[in-house]
Amino acid sequence: MKKVADILALCIEDIATGMSTLEDCLEKYASMRQQLEPLLKIALSIKKPGDIKPSTAFKVRTRVHLMEEIHARRAKAKWWQIGFGEGAQRTVRFGRSRAAAIVVAVLLAASALGVGTAYASQDSLPGDVIYPVKLGTEHIRLMLTTDDASRVRLELAFASTRLQEMEALADTRSDKIGVAISGYQRNMKTVFAETEQLEDESASATLSETVAVAISRHLVILCLIEDKASEGSRETIKQVQELIGERQLRVLRILAGKNPVRATEITLDTMQQWLERANVAMAEAKIKRVEMALCQFVALRGLGNEIAQGAYGPNEEFDIVDEMNMQCTSNHLAILGAIYEKTPEDMKGSVERAMRLSAEGYCQASNSLLASGIRHNLPEKPQLPADIPDGVKARILDDLPEETPLSDEIPGSSGFGDGGPAPDGPLNGSHQSGYMSEDGSH
Amino acid sequence: MYTKRIDEIVTDAGLELLIERAKSDDADAFGKLYDMYIDRIYRHVYYRVGNAADSEDLTQEVFMKAWQAIGKYKITGTPFLAWLMRISHNLVVDFYRKKKKDELHLDDDSWITDSAPIPEEAAELGYGQKRLRRAILELHGDQQQVLMMHFIEGFTYAEIASSLGKREGAIRVIQHRALTRLRQILEKEKDVR
Repeated sequence: MKKVADILALCIEDIATGMSTLEDCLEKYASMRQQLEPLLKIALSIKKPGDIKPSTAFKVRTRVHLMEEIHARRAKAKWWQIGFGEGAQRTVRFGRSRAAAIVVAVLLAASALGVGTAYASQDSLPGDVIYPVKLGTEHIRLMLTTDDASRVRLELAFASTRLQEMEALADTRSDKIGVAISGYQRNMKTVFAETEQLEDESASATLSETVAVAISRHLVILCLIEDKASEGSRETIKQVQELIGERQLRVLRILAGKNPVRATEITLDTMQQWLERANVAMAEAKIKRVEMALCQFVALRGLGNEIAQGAYGPNEEFDIVDEMNMQCTSNHLAILGAIYEKTPEDMKGSVERAMRLSAEGYCQASNSLLASGIRHNLPEKPQLPADIPDGVKARILDDLPEETPLSDEIPGSSGFGDGGPAPDGPLNGSHQSGYMSEDGSH
Repeated sequence: MYTKRIDEIVTDAGLELLIERAKSDDADAFGKLYDMYIDRIYRHVYYRVGNAADSEDLTQEVFMKAWQAIGKYKITGTPFLAWLMRISHNLVVDFYRKKKKDELHLDDDSWITDSAPIPEEAAELGYGQKRLRRAILELHGDQQQVLMMHFIEGFTYAEIASSLGKREGAIRVIQHRALTRLRQILEKEKDVR
C-alpha cells in the first residue's frame, strides 16, 4: 500500500499538470480524504510570487563587483604562489613542476640549515631565533598537501602547537604571547574557511566533527591559558575564545546536517564544559568569566534545541537526540542551581535565563518523545534544583511549552513504541523527515 | 506551477560548456552564468527575506560563494540552479541566525497579492499568499527548502533530492510533514485571530 506522503505527492503532481482535479483525487483515495484534503488545499494555494526582479542598476553593479572580486582574488592567489600568503584564500592548484620546485626548496633549506636545526626548531617559541624555521617548516608541509581535508587537519595540528606555545609563554614571556595568538587565529581562520567550503562534500561530516571536537578542547586550554596569562593578554584571549566559540556553532550546524546525534553530543559536552567553567569562576568571584561562560552556554543550548527540532537536516535518530538532551539537561540544571546560589543579585537573571532555556529544551524533547509514542524513564517535566526560590521555579515552569499531541493520525497506523510501523502521518511537527525510509520502514 | 526553466531553454551542452569554462577559472563564462541566474536567485532570496536591501546583499554573496566553490561543482550531479539555490538557502539561514527576526525590515509585501488567483477551496480557508508566505518562513530547514523548491521554483522531486543529497521518497515525506506543519501554523493563527 502506498504511503500518504507518496499519494499526496502524486495528487499534487496530477492536479498541477491538469491530469485530475482535487475532487478526482479525493474520490480516488476516499479512505484518506480527511487527511489529504486540507493538505492538498494548502499545497495548491502556494503560488509563485509575482514579478519580482532585481533592478538593472543592482544587476550591473553586482556584475562589476563580482568581476572585480574575481580578478582581485586571482591576483592574490598568484602572489601566494610566489610567497606565503593567507591560507584562507588558498585556491592554487599545484602542478608537477611547482611541487618539484618545493621539494628542491626543502632540500636546499635542509642542507643550508641542517636537518638538525629544522628538528630543533620544533620546540622553539616566539622570540627564539629559530622560531621562523618552525613556521617555515609548517608552511612547506601545507604547500605539499594537495587535498583540502588534509590541509584542514594540518592547520588544526598547527593551531594546537600555537596553543602549546601560548601556554608556555603565558607565565614566563607574556610579551611574546601575542605572536602565538596571532598564529593561532591565522591557523583557525583557514580551518573555518576550508570547513565551510567543504560543507557539501561527502567528507564534511568527519571533518566538521574533527573541527568541532578540536575546538572544544581548544576552549578548555584557552581557559587555562587565560587563568595564567597577564592582565594585558587576557582580553585578547577572551576575544579569541568568543570568536572560536561562535565559529564552533557554525561548524556544529554543518555537522548537525549530516550527523545530528554526534552534533548534539558535542554540543552537550561543550555546554557542560562552559557550565563547569562558570561554576569555578563564580566560586572565585570572577564575574566576567561567569558571564562569558553563561553566554556560550546559552548559545549552545539554543543550538541544541534547534538540532533536536531538525532545523539543520533530517533527524532520523531523534529519539536518541531527545533522550541525550533530557539526560544532560538534568545535569546542567543541577550545576546551574549551584551557580544560582552563589550569583550576585544583579546577575541572577542571566542564570535564570539559562535555566529556562534548558528547561524548555528538556520539555521540547520530552513532548516530542511522548508525541511519537516513545517511552522513557525520565520525568516528563524537568526537575529544577531544590534550592532555587519558588518564585523563580514558578516563572520557569509557567513558560514551558505544553505537550502537543498528534491531531490526525493515519487510520490503522500504530505508534513507534508499540513496535508497529512508523506513522506515515504527521509526527509532532518538531522533527523533520528522514525518520522513515521510502518504503515507510524505519 | 511548472514553467520552463533556464536549464531547459539553454541547451544542456551549452550550459555544460559554460560551467566547464567557469570551473577552469574563466571569469567571463561565470559572468554569463550570473546573467542567466541572477533573477531566479534574487527572487528566491527576496521571497525569504522580504526586503530589497538584504536580498541584494545576499544575492551578491551567493554568486561570490558560487565562484569560490564552482571547482567542486559536479556537472553530472545536482542541476546548476539547484546548486545555487542550496548556497542561497545556507546564506539565508545564516542571515536569520545573525539577525533577530524582529530586526528584519520587511518591505511593503503587496507584491504577494492576496488577490492572486487561488483555488476556491483554499480561498474559503482564507489561506492568502501573505499568510502562506509567513507560515512557510516559519518552517525549519529542509521543510522550508523542499516546499520552496517544489512549489515556488518548480523543481521536480528528483532534482530536489539530488540537491539535498536525499532520496526522492525522503523528499516526499518531508513535503508531507511540511504541509502538515504548515496547516498547524495556519490553523493556530486562525484561532488567534
